[in-house]
Amino acid sequence: MTDMPSAVVAPVSFGRRALLALAFLVALPFAFAPSPAAAANPAETFVDQNVQKGLAILTNRSLSDPQRKMQFRNFLLSLIDLDRVALFTLGPARRTATDAEKAQFVDAFREFAVSIYESRLSAFSGQTLKVTGSQPTGRGDTIVKTTLVDPNASSNQPLPVSFRVSNSDGKQVVIDVNVLGVWLAIEERDQFSSFLGDHGNSVAALIAHLKDLTAQMRAGAPLPGQK
Amino acid sequence: MTAFRGLGLLLAGLLLTACSTTGGNPQANDPYEQTNRDIFDFDMRLDRHVLLPTAEVYRDVVPEVARDGVHNVLLNLNSPVVFANDLLQGEATRGGETLARFVLNSTIGIGGLIDIAAKIGIPYHDEDFGQTLGVWGAVEGPYMVMPFFGPSNPRDLVGSGVDIAFDPNTYISYNYKFYWSLGRGVFSILDMRSRTIDTLAGIERGSVDYYASVRSLYRQNRANEIANGKQDVTDLPDF
Repeated sequence: MTDMPSAVVAPVSFGRRALLALAFLVALPFAFAPSPAAAANPAETFVDQNVQKGLAILTNRSLSDPQRKMQFRNFLLSLIDLDRVALFTLGPARRTATDAEKAQFVDAFREFAVSIYESRLSAFSGQTLKVTGSQPTGRGDTIVKTTLVDPNASSNQPLPVSFRVSNSDGKQVVIDVNVLGVWLAIEERDQFSSFLGDHGNSVAALIAHLKDLTAQMRAGAPLPGQK
Repeated sequence: MTAFRGLGLLLAGLLLTACSTTGGNPQANDPYEQTNRDIFDFDMRLDRHVLLPTAEVYRDVVPEVARDGVHNVLLNLNSPVVFANDLLQGEATRGGETLARFVLNSTIGIGGLIDIAAKIGIPYHDEDFGQTLGVWGAVEGPYMVMPFFGPSNPRDLVGSGVDIAFDPNTYISYNYKFYWSLGRGVFSILDMRSRTIDTLAGIERGSVDYYASVRSLYRQNRANEIANGKQDVTDLPDF
């Protein structure tokens, strides 16, 4: 009989782990700070410099909200190869989509991704990222590891955030970001695959849905049940 | 006993079919998707109407310092389970950290209320028997959504059953044990949900398919936990 409450606790714990892991995802794009350590290789230097660049935009008090949004947008577009990320997230549908669909999808994805960050800009409250090292992948890219430092967090548990840095036409770009083991572009691809599976692999339907979501995000519509 | 025999059989089955799938980026592996989606919808309704409003009240009414204390106590109470799994995974150093945390936080940290150990550089890490099975090579099995409890899979279900056996609370008798255990369960849920209100709302708002999003996040995160954050990055997909 006395097992009952323990049984309640135990299954909750694995749901909790997943949820706690997500707890930091949203804080991610605002986590930019200067790193005191000298970066050891070009990919680390690249991440370190961009961390400082992003922080400069977020902490610049002379910017109006629209100016900050615009600067942050340009910063993201120069930092992340969103075209490449977009096509990756399309998954197997990339092979069957027409060139026109792919172009429209890339545009819709870009606005969708930027709108997610825009909607959370106000949540920035001094979080910082410190570069801690890097590791090559088997694909010629480099994983740059950082740790999130949140001055407001009550726990001292380090939160790992990694960037997958790749070369696009000789220029360094970020193509994926990992928070607590979750690669965000892979997660996005998994969602899109599921959506496409439910909608007869219609890329047009996905584009329309992304545009709707972007509009909702920009309008700041609350979720059901949310205050 | 029947339950334990069932668990044993399931465990044996998992180990027999074991292969090295502890890293990487698994595809959906969701043969019961429609059932899972139905249960997910049920869980979401429950969340919207009961859990989320309660968690919002908890967050808004209880001061942060008290909520942090509750969180720390809950983590501390989980130490024996983490410790047992550290050892079963052959992680002596991490086991030592868990033990040190438990001793420090239970004494100087006033019964676990204050996470002294983290402040001196021994942060909490999580372990459970689902992860231990993963380290031993057991496959996760098909993705499952449980009523009330959310994402899981057979490996993690077995793990959570075994973890009950690692918890001293299962064996100790004392007055009002039922109420204490129930309270612990309730506060675990409140603690978890209240700490993820904004984050989950953000993820849901930005999701094309929230169900698929949670599935991907859960599976990737579990693979990472099994690898203790040291995932193999050489098999990442090509962009």
